[in-house]
Amino acid sequence: MVVAVILPRFSLSIAAGGRGALAAGPLALAPEPGRRPLVGEVSPVAEALGVVAGMKISEALARAPRLKLIAADPVAVADCWERVLLRLESVGAQVEDGGVGLACFEADGLWRIHGGSLDGVVAATRAALKLPARIGCGPSRFCAIVAAEQARSRRAAVINGAAQLAPAPAALLAHGPATAPLVEPLARFGITTLGQLAALPRGSVADRFGGPGITAWELAHGNGLPLRPRSPGQTIEETLTLTESASGPQLAAVLELLVDRLLARSELGGRTVRAATLSAKLVEGGTWRERVVFREALGDALRIRSALALRLALLPAPAESLRLAAEQLGPAAPPAEALFDDLQFRRAGRLSEAIGQLRALAGPQAALRVLLADPDSRIPERRAVLTPYER
Amino acid sequence: MTPTARAIGAPRELRVCASVGGQPLEVDGSEISAVRESWLVEDRWWTEQPLRRRYWEVVTVGGADIVVFRDLVGGRWFRHR
Repeated sequence: MVVAVILPRFSLSIAAGGRGALAAGPLALAPEPGRRPLVGEVSPVAEALGVVAGMKISEALARAPRLKLIAADPVAVADCWERVLLRLESVGAQVEDGGVGLACFEADGLWRIHGGSLDGVVAATRAALKLPARIGCGPSRFCAIVAAEQARSRRAAVINGAAQLAPAPAALLAHGPATAPLVEPLARFGITTLGQLAALPRGSVADRFGGPGITAWELAHGNGLPLRPRSPGQTIEETLTLTESASGPQLAAVLELLVDRLLARSELGGRTVRAATLSAKLVEGGTWRERVVFREALGDALRIRSALALRLALLPAPAESLRLAAEQLGPAAPPAEALFDDLQFRRAGRLSEAIGQLRALAGPQAALRVLLADPDSRIPERRAVLTPYER
Repeated sequence: MTPTARAIGAPRELRVCASVGGQPLEVDGSEISAVRESWLVEDRWWTEQPLRRRYWEVVTVGGADIVVFRDLVGGRWFRHR
C-alpha cells in the first residue's frame, strides 16, 4: 500500500510567511525573476475569485484587482521541503520526492513498527509532519495521490483500485509530468472523469495520444510504476554574505571562493561531488536557485567552477548572498594519470599530496592562497582575500 | 571545521595626533614631514553601516611612506600600509 502526502499551497505559504497569511486575502505567488509572467500557487480567496495557478498576471489582476503578489522564495521553499522529507524519513519511510508539496512512500514495511495497521502508519506520519497535510492511501502511487486530493486534513482517505478511481476528475492526471498535457485535450473530448478514460479501448487511446495516452489509461485503471525512493545523502554547504550587492566578475570571484571553501571541508574527505545547488538572495527581494548535476563526479575545483559559472550567468539580479551546496557525493577522486611523463604534472601531484598532509596536521587553514575578490575596489581590504588552496 | 576566507590588508588601529583641520601631525610617535596626498572615500551610504574615510598618504621624518585614514563615522585612526 502506497501512502501519498500532499501539502497544498506549500510554496505560497512559505513565501507568505506562514499558512495563517493565506486567509488574509487574495494572494498569488509572483513569477521568479526572469521567468514567464504567470502567477504561481494561489490562496483559497484568490481561487474563489477565479484566479488559478499558471494564469497570466494581467488576467489574474483583471479577475481580482486586490490580488497581492508574493515574491517567490525558492531557496526557503527548498529548505523547508527538505525538512518535510526528513521528517517523513524519520518515520522509517523510504520517500519518493514528487516535487514540492507531494511525497509518497511504501507503507507495507512500516506496519509492524507503527502498531500493525495502516492507521498506525498514517498517525505516525501525521505526528512526524507537524503540519496540516492531506494523506491518501492506495495500491499504486496514483491511487494514493487521488485519495490524498480527496482527503480532509484530519482524516486519511483510501482508494482501492479502478472502481473507486472512476468518479475522480481527469484533471488529476496533471500530477504526472507525462500525462499533464493530456488534461486539456481530454476535456475538449468531453472526458472529465478517470472512469470515462478507463472505459475507452486501450488501442484507441494509444492511437490518439501515443505513449502519454497509454500511461494515462494505465493510471486510470489503478496501475503504475513502482516508487523510486530517494537515497538520503549528506549535504555540505557554504554560504558567503556579500558586503555589497555583487554581479559579473565579482560574483565569479565569490564562486571561486565558495568552491575552494567547499572542497576544503573536512567532511568531504576527498570525495567527489555529483550534484550541487547554487542559490542566491537577491538585492531586489526574493531568491534564486539552480541545481546542477555534473556529467561525472567531480573533485577538481576548476571543472566544478566551469560548470557552475554557466548557471551563475543566469542569475537575474545582483545578489546579497550566495550559497553553494554539494548534494550528492561520489567516491574519492582517483589519482589522475598523465598521458605522457610530464614533470610539471608530477610536481603538481606531489604538491597536492603535501597540502593534504599539511591540512591533516595543522587543519584546513594550513594552506591558503590569495584570491583577488574585487581588485578595483576603493576599499583596500576588499581587494583580496586568503582562501583555501585547491588544485 | 569550516575554513573561512580572511581579508588581506585589514586596517589596524594606530595613534595619530592631528591638526584642527584633521591633517595628521604625528603617527605612532613619528613626526610627519610631508603630506603627499589626501582623498575621501564614501561608500555604502545606502546601507545602515555607511563607510566614510579621509585618507592621508604621509611621509614621516624617518622617510617612511605610509597611508593612514580617519574613520569619519567612528572617529578613530587606522593604518593601511
